[in-house]
Amino acid sequence: MGERSRTRPGVRSWIVGITLVLTLSAPASAQLGHDDARDVVIGWNRLILELVRHTPTYSPPVASRAFAYLGVTAFEAAASGDPSVRSLAGQLNELGPLPQREAGADYDEAILMHAALGLGANEFFGNTGPTGQRAMDFMVSRTASDLASGVPPDIVARSEAFGAAVGAHIAEWARTDGGAVVENLGFPYDFETVEDPALWVPTNRIAVQQAPLLPGWGRNRTFAMPDGATCSIPPPPEYSEAPGSAFYTEAMEVRDAVVNRTSEQEAIARFWSDDPMLSPTPPGHWISIALDALEGDEADLYETVDVLARLGTVLADSFIGCWDAKYRYNLVRPVTYINRLVDPGWQPILITPPFPEYPSGHSTQSGAAAGVLEHHFGDNYTFADATHEADGLAVRHYESFWEAAEEAAISRLYGGIHFRSAIEEGLAQGLCIAKYTNALVTWVAP
Amino acid sequence: MMRLTVVLAILAFPAVADEPAIPRFTEVTESAGIDSVFSGEWEYMVGGGAAVFDCDADGFPDMLLAGGTEPARFYRNRSTPSGDLVFESQQSGLEIDAVTGAYPIDIDSDGVMDIVLLRVGENIAMRGLGNCHFESANAAWGFDGGDGWSTAFAATWEAGSDWPTLAIGNYVDRNEPMMPWGSCTDNWLHRPGDADDGFAAPIPLTPSYCALSMLFTDWNRSGTPALRVSNDREYYKGGQEQLWRIEPGAAPELFGPEDGWQRLRIWGMGIANADLDFDGYPEFFLTSMADNKLQVLSAVPEDGDVLPVYSDVAYARGVTAHRPYTGGEIKPSTAWHAQFEDINNDGLADLFVAKGNVWEMPDFALLDPNNLLLQRADGTFYEAGEEAGVASMLTARGGAVADFNLDGLLDLVVVNRHDRAQLWQNTSTDLGNWIQVRAQQPGSNRDGVGAWIELKIDDRVIQRELTSGGGHVSGINSWWHFGLGDAETAQIRVLWPDGEHSDWSEVAANGFYVLERDELAIAWVPGSS
Repeated sequence: MGERSRTRPGVRSWIVGITLVLTLSAPASAQLGHDDARDVVIGWNRLILELVRHTPTYSPPVASRAFAYLGVTAFEAAASGDPSVRSLAGQLNELGPLPQREAGADYDEAILMHAALGLGANEFFGNTGPTGQRAMDFMVSRTASDLASGVPPDIVARSEAFGAAVGAHIAEWARTDGGAVVENLGFPYDFETVEDPALWVPTNRIAVQQAPLLPGWGRNRTFAMPDGATCSIPPPPEYSEAPGSAFYTEAMEVRDAVVNRTSEQEAIARFWSDDPMLSPTPPGHWISIALDALEGDEADLYETVDVLARLGTVLADSFIGCWDAKYRYNLVRPVTYINRLVDPGWQPILITPPFPEYPSGHSTQSGAAAGVLEHHFGDNYTFADATHEADGLAVRHYESFWEAAEEAAISRLYGGIHFRSAIEEGLAQGLCIAKYTNALVTWVAP
Repeated sequence: MMRLTVVLAILAFPAVADEPAIPRFTEVTESAGIDSVFSGEWEYMVGGGAAVFDCDADGFPDMLLAGGTEPARFYRNRSTPSGDLVFESQQSGLEIDAVTGAYPIDIDSDGVMDIVLLRVGENIAMRGLGNCHFESANAAWGFDGGDGWSTAFAATWEAGSDWPTLAIGNYVDRNEPMMPWGSCTDNWLHRPGDADDGFAAPIPLTPSYCALSMLFTDWNRSGTPALRVSNDREYYKGGQEQLWRIEPGAAPELFGPEDGWQRLRIWGMGIANADLDFDGYPEFFLTSMADNKLQVLSAVPEDGDVLPVYSDVAYARGVTAHRPYTGGEIKPSTAWHAQFEDINNDGLADLFVAKGNVWEMPDFALLDPNNLLLQRADGTFYEAGEEAGVASMLTARGGAVADFNLDGLLDLVVVNRHDRAQLWQNTSTDLGNWIQVRAQQPGSNRDGVGAWIELKIDDRVIQRELTSGGGHVSGINSWWHFGLGDAETAQIRVLWPDGEHSDWSEVAANGFYVLERDELAIAWVPGSS
């Protein structure tokens, strides 16, 4: 099987493209607009990848939450117009019945979708900076006017109102999940470390990061799985400073991996680094992969929203599950252990994230993402990953989503920020979480 | 079970040494005649600088305040020695719109100050005509002002040149309405032309990463300044902080990992430099959001062959300045202009930081007071902004710390976005002794940009690099200030850019001196010129 995805154009190119396409192909009939609606979904997600990167509260868990709700928003907006598509209301935790379309009335799917996602984007990125606000305003106004061209005004108004109602319904649901308010960039204002060498302590001298990121995130409401503890993982190896112990051995593996790294291993570490504020974050990386796959396959509207809703929710659930475990075990980071016991001058090649070590968040969410994407696309889907091309990182190629997930996971060991157990158990936890998402029913049996 | 304990506790900085003397400031904006506002929307969300310089040869620093969409405002200093600060708004030729910042520099070395205006649009090199009048010299000097969004400046005289080299930092592509992320436009290096009386075509400093501050600095005391660039990670892709090797006659070359340069990615907005630890090498303070950096060379080998490897000691020294210290808000801060000066005249450099939200960003403090961080004897800093009276809650950007009434006490001007600029007079009565000096040499580079002034008090030598650039779109060309503490006298000399030392001169405290090549320090008295 050849590679499905291709190197995609830059975001700016896409924006120009979609506005031209929408202008040239404005639907003559109010019943049409499905293809345009798909382009609207893709377009908003491309913009959201940038907003995630440029909104200071958007650490990976927060980003996953936005992808989830916006994925569900797009799905429900589309599902409302087709009786063969089953709503996620009643399947996702505490998601109540969605607004219903007016019987017998015409709607434009693209206008409806644009209104829903525009409202959703403003809900989740209302705190972004001036340039993000400017981009959202431009997206909302220009795309809306392009979509409305040639569509009867009553259909435009009805579609916009209904799309906004769907967006508002999801936004209201989101506000009760425990993750809606992020203060101080996610770091508690007050925190005191505990004198125990096994436990996490700050790993840098950035003042706000002297407390760990989002310690309560594991208690957030989940989407498809029952709660954050659903896919619990076994404890990490027992803490020990004794040479030859399992813990010490894993630490030495990390140290040696950094010291003896190959250029390929360093490239892998940097490719999956996905640092907040410098990338679309790890969940954004997987959204980027999915968007390329959907575009490469010329997926239709329903397939697009189905994949993005499942991927978004599984990423969000994986961060909740991972964070539940992280703060259950509160394990020390490799740099702390190695500097104190082995080599005071040793440094990882990646920035050590400011929160406990076990399990690896990237591993959990990559395992979960691969679990969902393979469920949809198959386990031999080859693809090229161009997520970081604009940042000067070369495109990487994979034979399957799982291969990519395993590489993402081991990248944290190559980068010196995770022990092997955190990686292996993280992947396993992600697969467990994916089963709940894969069990969602989005099509009504004929 | 969760084994992490969260308790109510205040993050504490290291134990304090004796507290420094607190300077007292009085805001005199209105009474001094300052009524400038930096206005404008998206294209003016950064910038808003001040230039401080003497354009009428009376020794008193005059100033230009950027106005954004409004014309810049020039204020002539009408203060009297040690009197109240008084300024008079005058037509100078600098009243041009779209100005983001400005830097004074005597480009043609005629002894009359020139000004480089950074703009949204064409930058302009304004030639001083004397008596505080200026005209564009872009055509006469072959200065290509471009058409970008300029937000940083630095200048040096490369060895062997009679004409300066200017670095201009540019921000995002202002013509990109939708997605400016990743559209950082090239910074330009304007080197002298063949005739050494104008500029050659600019050289793009590729890659460029949306610079908000630049500084030529002899960071390694090699005798050849390199170009430090602080970049805004909000807009670059694949970028980082930069250090350019600028060797005469050679193409600019970035320091890289092979040189020891370590990747740092911050919302870089301003650079301040000072030799805080008296080892002869400058430390660098880099402003950002939610965090600021104080960089100290990690190692200084005995052979002096240092690598550009820095440790961040901001946390240890108490200068992270990461959130407001007064006003009720505890959300993260946003820092812009920074400047080291010995504001309480105790012989230790202090740090002023201008603060202000980018543009109603709700996750950052909206009421974000400026910082006045006073250095203690142990190298840590004490926040004195509120006690000193400079904890303004307006949305600050650029600024300047300078002695406007020549009383030896450093005053302060700050440019605020969408609000009036503010001027504070230092009204302290119990600070230490001081001297203020000006380096001056014949021929080109009259003000000795790139020189180092060395001031010896007992066994301590304070070394100060004479730079042109840095801060946040704000530049000063005026008296160089030194606090002396209790010392009544000091020894002073200049290490000129060509490596030649002047002889040590003994100077008495609380006076002004002109340091000319091959001359002993010459006393100068305010009102005598």
